[in-house]
Amino acid sequence: MSDEPKETRAKGDMSHVPLHIFLVIFTILACYPILWVFTIAFSGKQSLAIVNLPQNPTNADRIRAITPWPETVSVSNFTSVMTEQPFARWILNSAIVSAATTVVGVVMACGAGYAFSRFRFPGRRAGLMSFLVSQMFPGTMTLIPLYIILVQWLGLGSSWIGLILIYATTAIPFCVWMLKGYFDTIPKELEESALMDGASTGRIFWSIVLPLAKPAVAVTALFSFMTGWNEFILGATFMDKESMYTAPLGLRFFVGGFSQQWGYFAAGSIIVAIPVVVLFMFLQKYLVSGLTAGAVKG
Amino acid sequence: VEEQRTRVSGQQPAAPKPPAAGQAPPPAVHRVTVAVLLAALIGAGLLHWTLVRSFRAATEERAARAAMIVARAAADVATAQGAEGESLNAAMSAWQKEHRTVRAVRVVNVDNRSIEASTFAEDLKEGEVPRRMQRPEKPLYDLGQELRGNIETNASEGNRREKEVAVEQKADGLLLIAAPVEKDGAVVGFAQVLTAPEVVSVSVPNPFFAIAFALAPFVVILALSFVWRRGNLLLVAIAALLLLVALFAYRQWAVGSLIGGAEEAERQFAERVQREAGIASRVAPGAQAKANTWDADVHRTPLRVDPAKAVEGQKDAIAGAAYGISVLSLALLLFIGLGAAHRTRNALVQHRQAYYYIAPALVGMLLLVFFPFFYGIALSFTGQTLYNVNQPFSEIWTGFQNYKEILGDFTVIKTTAEGGRAANYENFYYTLFFTIAWTVVNVAIGVTVGLFLALILNTKGLRGKAIYRVLLILPWAVPNYITALIWKGMFHRQFGVINHLIAIFGGTPVSWFEHPVTSFAAVVATNGWLSFPFMMVVSLGALQSISADLYEAARVDGASRWQQFTAITLPSLKPALIPAIILSVVWTFNMFNIIYLVSAGEPAHSTEILITQAYKLAFEQYRYGYAAAYSTIIFAILLIYGVFQNRMTRATESIAA
Repeated sequence: MSDEPKETRAKGDMSHVPLHIFLVIFTILACYPILWVFTIAFSGKQSLAIVNLPQNPTNADRIRAITPWPETVSVSNFTSVMTEQPFARWILNSAIVSAATTVVGVVMACGAGYAFSRFRFPGRRAGLMSFLVSQMFPGTMTLIPLYIILVQWLGLGSSWIGLILIYATTAIPFCVWMLKGYFDTIPKELEESALMDGASTGRIFWSIVLPLAKPAVAVTALFSFMTGWNEFILGATFMDKESMYTAPLGLRFFVGGFSQQWGYFAAGSIIVAIPVVVLFMFLQKYLVSGLTAGAVKG
Repeated sequence: VEEQRTRVSGQQPAAPKPPAAGQAPPPAVHRVTVAVLLAALIGAGLLHWTLVRSFRAATEERAARAAMIVARAAADVATAQGAEGESLNAAMSAWQKEHRTVRAVRVVNVDNRSIEASTFAEDLKEGEVPRRMQRPEKPLYDLGQELRGNIETNASEGNRREKEVAVEQKADGLLLIAAPVEKDGAVVGFAQVLTAPEVVSVSVPNPFFAIAFALAPFVVILALSFVWRRGNLLLVAIAALLLLVALFAYRQWAVGSLIGGAEEAERQFAERVQREAGIASRVAPGAQAKANTWDADVHRTPLRVDPAKAVEGQKDAIAGAAYGISVLSLALLLFIGLGAAHRTRNALVQHRQAYYYIAPALVGMLLLVFFPFFYGIALSFTGQTLYNVNQPFSEIWTGFQNYKEILGDFTVIKTTAEGGRAANYENFYYTLFFTIAWTVVNVAIGVTVGLFLALILNTKGLRGKAIYRVLLILPWAVPNYITALIWKGMFHRQFGVINHLIAIFGGTPVSWFEHPVTSFAAVVATNGWLSFPFMMVVSLGALQSISADLYEAARVDGASRWQQFTAITLPSLKPALIPAIILSVVWTFNMFNIIYLVSAGEPAHSTEILITQAYKLAFEQYRYGYAAAYSTIIFAILLIYGVFQNRMTRATESIAA
């Protein structure tokens, strides 16, 4: 018994060498854009090039130019993007909008998810289906009317409230389906016994179901936060004023059009992306199961 | 509550409150009566509201017109005073005292380069009038020259093309109007008046009339309901007819009262001209000589118009609104009258708890997702652009015009100016083709690379699996707009690392976004980079759930590795991969950020996908209606795909089961 695993491991190690070689190369390639961003961010310059090539570059020069290591290591891009540029303000905008989106979206989705899971009522199927179909609306389809309604009628352009409302409603269908799925797995008997003891449905929902569903609520909340944090095009359409930009718009501002502030962009990207990348790593397994489960049902 | 009580008691043969006939009418009859009252009240109420708004709009137009009369009177007073001299200032002050709404008046003589008279505080601060104009007052001189030039142009051309009176809207709704002053038949300057809008008040119709029109069908139905015990449907039909007749009659009356109001306003204008003439003649005898030309527009074209024509715009607005309102109240009548309202209410009461929980989410979705959705569909039938957003749909309705333009245009290949042939990148079918190609290529790359990596990572006993997995998921974790901007930088013609890499292998640098093919390659590379981890994670999860016993058994039976792959691995992956593929097709189809930020459709919209094209139509060309139609078509495509995919998964599920 003790011999066998050792033998397979030894054999495995030898035959795995080509696999490792392939995987290492592929991983380096896959991570190259990320390394590149780090290089530019720590270069202390705004240039898009890692090094400036001479007039007639040799291959050695060129290889140096694609090696993701800056000529001089400096954190000046990080300090100046936060102090000289209005990037801190943009991050604050993003944080406020995403946090409010999360609160509004999750509160709405908890109630709706619970009702869809527990009650049988006229319009239940239609409601569930319409939430699903709404996911199919192309963004631009509601974008034009929303622009007319929110900006031209209600004057909510370049305001937190307008963006929060839009993000919350875009996040709701996914959150509702996700939470409904989780509520379905909580045994009904718990609630029935509480009902026997004379608890109201409101109380049951608040003190039995919600505490049990905490993990799902947390995951849903984090997803809606990421929706708001990572969203680009709605923000670009609704936020005209530079002081009201969200972080994604700010990053585009640095390198969009004729602007070429790649140092600021790279440093800003790292600041903005690190929290979501870390979150994502923790959440991706829920995301995959939630998404594919939804797709099978749909 | 009342109605419900009758409904409940109506079940029993003996009614508690029998009318004269001694037996309660069937409940449905009551319902029709209530329905017709509500529908008529709401319909007439909305029409009344529209009417009041029309009156207000007309009043605003008239206020400006009345202010113009005052300004013209001032100009003629100045003309009668000879357009200069010490007495002019006194006369203008006296003239102003007669007008409560006029805040200040000045007379400028261009020939003398002087301000002859003024009660403007800013003029008096610089010195007593009359006096020569100073340098900072040059704009006044220019204005005088401009008016004189305009009037001479008009006189020589024999028409009134140029403005002969200058009107300027000031803060707090004040109007600054300059009218020409003449001497010996030639323009020598102008009189300028700063005045509040002159209110020409026309009494707004009494809401009592609306109520009266609304009550008429109700009374008839009420009377009928006593006679008529059965025939609910017929009664509903009669009620509907009566409702429409009443609303139509009210509309006619409303238009009539609008024209009546306009006639009343014309009388007031005539009176006002008389009054102004009186004031003018008192201040400066002879100034009233041309009083009958004062009621005119900025081209000094007389405005004594047909009252019906004056309110044309408002009339159309009411007529248009009446159609919508009629449909609305008819729907309300049918909804209540046919009992749908009842059933809805019963359901609401019975399941109120469920609806409480859903209400917040539902209201949010209705207001910000479903309403915009249907509004977008309505928009797609109009020719709305940035420049006519405030016009009602009835005025810019174009029917299926947008759809015809988009779907009926098959010129995928166009002839260029030089006679050559080129793809028409703006064409819908080209973009559709490109979008499909983009989706297929990307999903294929994602699945192949993802599955391949998953198979490698699933090798038994492979070390460092966890590290590889985490590092390979990174591209998916990075927000995709950042990914897009990074790759845009890496594809830079001069400084981008990809061109450096090509140079190392002896190639020449490529201008990635100047040719459709290279541009396509660039966006596909970007999207491929961010989309393979998803497929990898899904495949890996599915691979790990395959029982090792299956392979064991297959090996025992002597199956080759390829046979194992096709007979065990692929079928076991299917339930996980198919939903993932379905999902990633929709994602890629709608992958806005990559296209918008990396290639931006360059060159010449050739790498635009449907959704970015729709966005650009709306927010770069401002063709809202056209873009809405474009988006509706995209939605239709996705819907067809959704239904098709649903069928397909169901079919595969049933086969699997």
